[in-house]
Amino acid sequence: MKKQLTWLIAAMMAVLIVGCANQKGPAEQAIAGAESTLSGMRDMAQKYVPDQLAAVDAQLASLKDAFAKGDYKAVLAGAPALTSAIGSLKEAASAKAAEAEAAMAKAKDAWASMSTDVPKMVAALQSRVDMLTKSHHLPSGVTKDTLASAKTGLDSIKSAWNDATTAASSGDFTGAMAKATAVKDQATAIMQSLHMSSG
Amino acid sequence: MADEPTPTEQNPYTQTHVVAAGETLGKIAKQYYGDASLYTQIFEANRDVLKDPNKIFPGQKLRIP
Repeated sequence: MKKQLTWLIAAMMAVLIVGCANQKGPAEQAIAGAESTLSGMRDMAQKYVPDQLAAVDAQLASLKDAFAKGDYKAVLAGAPALTSAIGSLKEAASAKAAEAEAAMAKAKDAWASMSTDVPKMVAALQSRVDMLTKSHHLPSGVTKDTLASAKTGLDSIKSAWNDATTAASSGDFTGAMAKATAVKDQATAIMQSLHMSSG
Repeated sequence: MADEPTPTEQNPYTQTHVVAAGETLGKIAKQYYGDASLYTQIFEANRDVLKDPNKIFPGQKLRIP
């Protein structure tokens, strides 16, 4: 009886070992596949959906931990969810990338108009500031402080406009437009302070 | 960026003034710059439409640099 029990235990151990050994390969493949897929999209995911990438990384780390402990069954059980999460990650990152690309194209178009518009505003403003500086008196509603503030503002605008054109030159049209819009708003405010009406 | 727009330069942000009856370039310069002696600057900016600073006419649209 004792001999039979020993054989039974040995047989069960053998089945268990063979079973585990049979699961190790697929588990290893599942992890390697997930890592490979992730590495191909990591940069894009990091840029557009970093939180979602972190969640997927945590899922992968959990499976790798199970693998290291020899729990291949857990790895195989968790693999479909990881595959699904990676699929969702890729979909979300691609959608965000497409959105960003569309926004960039829109900003590039807007920049074409802005890049001719703002220099004209600045030229008109500079001309008026120069004229008022030559003047022995100031027109009604414009004080010395207003003029001094306009001069300071104009210097600030020129500097900000240089930043905007630098951003556009480097291909960052979204950034360039954000800066250019701020420049235009500031130029408009200065024009109003000097009682200039366009056209 | 040009410091001084030339008379023919089209800049939609350059202020304009439509001459009213009885106005002179000096009066217009006084209105916009506070200094009538700067009328010559308005004249120079409008050489394409003005031949003589003393001859401006109601309805003329002038650029005010």
